Amino acid sequence: MMAIFKELAAELIGMFFGDTRLAAALLALVAATGLLIDFAGLDHLMAGAMLLFGSLALLVVSVCRAARPREP
Amino acid sequence: MMWSTAAPAVTAAFLASVVEVVEAFTIVLAVAMLRGWRPAALGTVAGLGTLAGIVLVLGPLLDRVPVASLQLAIGVLLLLFGMGWLRKASLRAAGVIPLHDEDAIFAAETAGMNEQSHRRQKNLDWVAGVTALKAVLLEGLEVVFIVIAVGAGRGLLVPAGLGALAACMLVLAIGAVVHRPLSRVPENLLKFGVSIMLCSFGVFWTGEGLGIAWPGQDLALLLFIALFLGAGLLASGFARRLSVEFA
Repeated sequence: MMAIFKELAAELIGMFFGDTRLAAALLALVAATGLLIDFAGLDHLMAGAMLLFGSLALLVVSVCRAARPREP
Repeated sequence: MMWSTAAPAVTAAFLASVVEVVEAFTIVLAVAMLRGWRPAALGTVAGLGTLAGIVLVLGPLLDRVPVASLQLAIGVLLLLFGMGWLRKASLRAAGVIPLHDEDAIFAAETAGMNEQSHRRQKNLDWVAGVTALKAVLLEGLEVVFIVIAVGAGRGLLVPAGLGALAACMLVLAIGAVVHRPLSRVPENLLKFGVSIMLCSFGVFWTGEGLGIAWPGQDLALLLFIALFLGAGLLASGFARRLSVEFA
């Protein structure tokens, strides 16, 4: 039974943090957008564009990085 | 209920459920072929019961969370989950990582249980039942998350749940007829499409949770879907070129 719980926990973590770098970058993007809205009074349209285009850029960068062979 | 929100939510729940139920069905079928339908059915029912328990516990709890916090939390989780799926689907479409192969999974699962049956003669039905339970539980978790994520906060839990249920019935009906792994389902294409919708919902709700009023309100989702589709195709094209270049 313990093994099932462990697998469940691993599955849950893997669902959201399968690629740690991408997940960390997304969380940083959301945090930065929130901070800029709250503390720098960033215009909502600009903040929305930052969130949207930031996510799109992170996706492309993450896929390209994974497609490049690793250094030996 | 706005169709521009409801339609992507129900479609996302339906298509994501097709993908996950096909994966769970492959393992349950392997269990049934090797040890009979009894342990397979018992494991499946136990898995579905556990998932129902999770929904029954989580559902009322979610109602108590303020809408903005709920949207932000669910939006961020959707973004993390959807981007992970879209990244993988783009890499699979580019041929960088292999496609999900239901026939291979069926063969591996059958071989694994055969090996266990040689090692330990007792409690084989128990092992088979637990294998089916794990498959239903692990694949079902993603379905539950998607249904809750696209449904909560907008009163779409029931339509999204019905979308998922329709997918289960469809896969089970086809599975009962063909009686073999459903390897012809274009899984990567479905995952690509679903992840685009999940990413779009993720950005939309994260933004709303942060207080952003999207121009066009729910209609902005359609623009997000188009942009994520473009980015996914672009990323996949770049990845294909890079993998050929470095091959």
